Amino acid sequence: MPYQFEEILETIKMTEIEHFDIRTVTLGISLRDCADRNIEVTKQKIYEKIVRYGGNHVKYANEIERQYGVSIANKRVSITPASIPFDSFSADEYVEIAKTLDKAAAEIGIDYIAGYSALVQKGFTNGEREFLKSIPTALTETQRVCSSVNVASTKAGINMDALNMMADAIKQTAENTKEQQSIGCAKLVVFCNIPEDNPFIAGAFHGITEPEVVLNVGVSGPGVVLDAIKNAGNVDLQQLSEVIKRTVFRITRAGELMGRQVAKKHGVPFGIVDISLAPTPAKGDSIGDILKAMGVEDVGAPGTTAALAMLNDAVKKAGLMASSSVGGLSGAFIPVSEDQGMIEAVERGNLSIEKLEAMTSVCSVGLDMIAIPGDTPASTIAGIIADECAIGIINDKATSARLIPAYGKKVGDVVDYGGLLGKAPVMDVRNLNSNGFVGRGGRIPAPVRSLTN
Amino acid sequence: MNLTEEEIRNIALKAINELGNKANADTVKAVVEKAVSAIDENVKLPSGNLKKTSGRVILTSFGMNHPGIVAKVTTALSNAKCDIRDMSQKIMDEFYTMIIIIDISNSPLELSEIQNELTKVADELKIKIYLQHEDLFRHMHRV
Repeated sequence: MPYQFEEILETIKMTEIEHFDIRTVTLGISLRDCADRNIEVTKQKIYEKIVRYGGNHVKYANEIERQYGVSIANKRVSITPASIPFDSFSADEYVEIAKTLDKAAAEIGIDYIAGYSALVQKGFTNGEREFLKSIPTALTETQRVCSSVNVASTKAGINMDALNMMADAIKQTAENTKEQQSIGCAKLVVFCNIPEDNPFIAGAFHGITEPEVVLNVGVSGPGVVLDAIKNAGNVDLQQLSEVIKRTVFRITRAGELMGRQVAKKHGVPFGIVDISLAPTPAKGDSIGDILKAMGVEDVGAPGTTAALAMLNDAVKKAGLMASSSVGGLSGAFIPVSEDQGMIEAVERGNLSIEKLEAMTSVCSVGLDMIAIPGDTPASTIAGIIADECAIGIINDKATSARLIPAYGKKVGDVVDYGGLLGKAPVMDVRNLNSNGFVGRGGRIPAPVRSLTN
Repeated sequence: MNLTEEEIRNIALKAINELGNKANADTVKAVVEKAVSAIDENVKLPSGNLKKTSGRVILTSFGMNHPGIVAKVTTALSNAKCDIRDMSQKIMDEFYTMIIIIDISNSPLELSEIQNELTKVADELKIKIYLQHEDLFRHMHRV
C-alpha cells in the first residue's frame, strides 16, 4: 500500500473530526471593461459579466467538495476596486453600482461580493472622493457588498485626509444600520498595505495587476492546529513550532489542490493560496484557544504577543514550503467577534484594545471585528486607525481596522450578529482626544524603509 | 462543453478573418459551429470519455465490528464495477477500521454516484464510509 494506515486515518481525522475545511474559494473578476458613459449600460455590463463568469461558481465548488471529501465553507467573488473603472461617476451612481453588485451576487447564489474598494494611500481622484462619500449609503442599501479602502502604504505613507473621511464613513454606516446593530461596519475595512490577491472577505478585491479572471483559495484550520498542539504535549518551543509547521503544511497542500481543481473546472487560471488561520465562532475553531494551548493562561496575558508571533511565523514557513503560490494575507487572523476564545477573553476583562493592537504588529491583519462604544468620536476612531496604519507602514506589512462603533451601545453591551460574523462584546476605548493630531490632515510621509530601490 | 476565454477569442478572430465584411447571421453561425466542433474533437479524442472521474479513490470505513461488513462493502463496489487495488483492515477491541484503494476508471458510474451507493450501505450497517479521491492524500502526505 503506497500510503501508511496512519496517514490515511490522519486525513480522515482532520476532515471529519477536527473540522478542517477550505475557508473560501474566491473568484476574482476584472470589471475594467465594464465602464460606459451611461450608468444604465454600465450596470448591465457589470451584472452580465459577473453572472457569466460566476454563474457556476457554487456548483463547481460543490463538486470538488464532494470529490475530495473536504468541505469548502464559502464561495465568493471579488471584483476590481470599483473606484477605478467607474471613476467618472457620482456618489449616487456608485450606490447604483453597489446595488447591481448585490443583485448579481444574489443571482449566482453567493453570500458576499467584495471589491467595492478604493486605493487612496497617496491621494484622491475626483471620482475617488465621490466613491468614499457613497460608502455608508451603499452598505446600508445592500446586503452582500463588502467595501475596503486602502489609506496607507509603506511606499506612500498615511493619507490622513482619507483616513479621516473613513472614520466619518464608519460612524455614518454605524448610524445608518443601527436597526441591525450597526452591521454595515462589519462589511467595511480600512487597510494599510492591502494585498491585491487576498481571497478573504471583507478585504478582498481583484487587484489591477491581476488577469481577467482568477481563482484564489483561502485555507483555514485552527481546529486542526489546536489538536496538533494539544497532542504534542509538553515539548519545547522549537519542537512546538515544528508541530505547527507540519500541520499547516498538510492544510496548505490540500487547499492548493482543491483551489487548482475548482479553477480547472472554471477554465480560469489559479492565483494563490492564502494560508491564513481564520477562526469561526464554532467551538474549537479559535486562534484564542491555540494561544492558550501554547501555554498562556488567557489571551491578553503577558507572552500572548510572542506566542502569536511564533504561530504566525510557523504558518508562513510551512505555507512557503508547501506551495509556490502563496499570497494574500497568509498568517493568523485575530477577529474578536468571530473567535470564541477571544470573545471570552474580552468578557473576562483580560484582553484590551491596546493588547490587540500590539498583537496586530505580529499577525497578518489588524484590529478586526471589534465593537466599541457608539459614542466614540470620529477623531478617536481615526486615531486608532492611524496607529494601525503606523504599525503597517513601519513594519512593511498589511494591517487593517474593522471597527464597529455600535450605535447606542456602551461598554458591557454585546452586539450579536449570529452566523459567521459572531458576537462582539463592546470594548473600552480610552476617552482621550486625538483630534489635535489627526485633525491636522495631510499625509504622514513614507518611512525610511520605503527607500529600497 | 466548456470553452475557455482564449478559445472563444480565437473563434471570434477566425470568423472575422474568414468573413470580413460579408458576415451575416447565417455565415457567422456556420463558421462558429465548424470551429467549435473542431475543438470538441480535439479535446475528446486523446483523453477518451472526459466526463468520468479518472483514477484511484481511497475508501475509508470504520465502526462497530460485526459479521458481513467486508462482504456488503465489496459487493457494492463490485456492482459498481470498481476494481479493488489494495485492502487493509484492523480490529481494535470491538471497533474495526478498513481502508480500500479502488480504481473507478472502468466504472460506468461517477464518483458522486458511487458515494451515494456506499452511503446506503453505511446506513444499513450503521458504520461510516468515506470515499475521497487519491490526490488529496498524495498532496497532503507526499512532497
